Amino acid sequence: MYKKFRQALPFLLPGMAGLLLFYGIPFIGGIWYSVTDGSVKNEFVGLNNYTSVWQNPMFQLGLRNALELSLICAPLLFLLSFLLAAGLHRMRPAGAFFRSSVLMPYLMPSSAVLIIWLLWFDYGGPVNRILTALGGQRIDWLLGAELRIPVILLFLWKNLGFCVIVFLSALQSIPESLYEYATLEGASFRKQTFSITLPLVVPSAFLVAILSFVSAFRIFKEIYFIGGAYPKDPLYTLQNYMSNMYNKLNYQNVTAAAYMFALIVFLLFGLLFLSQRTALKRLNGEG
Amino acid sequence: MNPNKDIRVWLARIFLTVMAIVMLLPMVQTFLYSFSSIPEMKSYMKTRGNREETEWMDPHLSPHMISLGQYEQILIKDNTVLQYFINSVVYAAAILAGQALVLPALAYGLSKFRFHGREGIFFLIVMLMLLPFQVTMVPNVLTLRVMGLLNTQWAVILPMWFAPFYVFLLRQYMITLPDELLEASSMDGAGPFRSFLWIVIPVCQPVIGAAAALSFAENWNLVEQPLTYLSRKPELMPLSTVFNQLAGENTGFEFAGAALYILPAMLVYFFFQKDILSGIQLTEMK
Repeated sequence: MYKKFRQALPFLLPGMAGLLLFYGIPFIGGIWYSVTDGSVKNEFVGLNNYTSVWQNPMFQLGLRNALELSLICAPLLFLLSFLLAAGLHRMRPAGAFFRSSVLMPYLMPSSAVLIIWLLWFDYGGPVNRILTALGGQRIDWLLGAELRIPVILLFLWKNLGFCVIVFLSALQSIPESLYEYATLEGASFRKQTFSITLPLVVPSAFLVAILSFVSAFRIFKEIYFIGGAYPKDPLYTLQNYMSNMYNKLNYQNVTAAAYMFALIVFLLFGLLFLSQRTALKRLNGEG
Repeated sequence: MNPNKDIRVWLARIFLTVMAIVMLLPMVQTFLYSFSSIPEMKSYMKTRGNREETEWMDPHLSPHMISLGQYEQILIKDNTVLQYFINSVVYAAAILAGQALVLPALAYGLSKFRFHGREGIFFLIVMLMLLPFQVTMVPNVLTLRVMGLLNTQWAVILPMWFAPFYVFLLRQYMITLPDELLEASSMDGAGPFRSFLWIVIPVCQPVIGAAAALSFAENWNLVEQPLTYLSRKPELMPLSTVFNQLAGENTGFEFAGAALYILPAMLVYFFFQKDILSGIQLTEMK
């Protein structure tokens, strides 16, 4: 609306200054750390830090776990939140209580809920009771190889709400009259889903997919809550490696690891973006 | 009329009921347990970790006797939990105050002004939003180190003032506001600043409420930042980082601590519930 940059400047200035100070400048300046050796002479070593970090077994374990956990969590978050949003959408307007119960955990501190989680997943706790009642075997949730499951469930409990809201607002923005018209024309439920619901939901679905990955990269919180500051191997993620290097004041390795991880993250989002474009094309081609 | 549709509706209902119970139970159970006495909780929590195949934990649906002992312990007798709680309050309040000054103005500048490079700046902010903490902690640490702020409260507070996610949230809402709104106010002689204060902020009240609530939730559950930036100052930690320690030490009052921590979040939820539902309009990336 306003056309002059001069007018926008006072509004942009505080925010942009902070973003430059805390992200922009150090992000570029940090490259210097990643290509020097950190000794007294601080010699230029090219990409040596990158190769040594890349070959470090702890970095590899952390990176593999971080990627594995997000490739498990993000799709789960995406699918579950879509199912919940579709269910809630069908139930309106009587669904206020259900909507609240799904949204509320997003605002709750999962840090305070972890105590209940430790109780539920105890060897003699309610989850194992239900499992044995259903004819299964007790599982050592908190010590064994299944350690990841309570962590993932706590993550889902906490993060479902936001994705559900985004999906729900997309579903609610589709005018009811479109469905009424389609029903009059004799379109089946399946046809309606594919020609009305999906194409109109795809843009939001793409956003939810991205947000799912953004939050899945934050699963370190839940890992810390259940696995502690020094978790066992299945839960050792990049965050542990970074903190470790940071505590040793090894800025060369911290910066090199961060840039490599940033590159991988952007590659992943690039793939998501491409898949959204092909999905949209295919849907539009059909309809 | 249509039996298939009936079955689908019932399936949706059952699925939602089960989910609702699972989602709400942790809060309900925390509040229930916070009213049992300290010795009762201590002996109950001691039955954890028993690896005998024949042993089970008591189901323990509710306290055997209602007691305020846990609350008395954390609020009056021993103030360690209270101290951490106050730290949390300071972080949440300081972060929200700074964000209120910086972020709506930035979102306004990026949505209601047309200038070269606007989309470029917004694109960079979205990219920043996508990066995990493991990446953004590095530039933050470099700046905080130069400024000498590591191991002070400012290390946790300052970088959060410029959190890109809330810029994104606010900007996506502001961009949908019709230009006529601002044109009308310029006709009345209001400049961009007056229009911002008297038109844009009131109209954006739902998204500002939603952003404030979401930001509070994030600030109330801080873990990565304090653990990284305050590693030498454990006394400055917020309460969110000490619960697993409390549960491990079997203090007997961990549930009152958890209930005390959940309560403000619950109030924020009920107060901002409407804003969250109507303010988040992220249907498209534009």
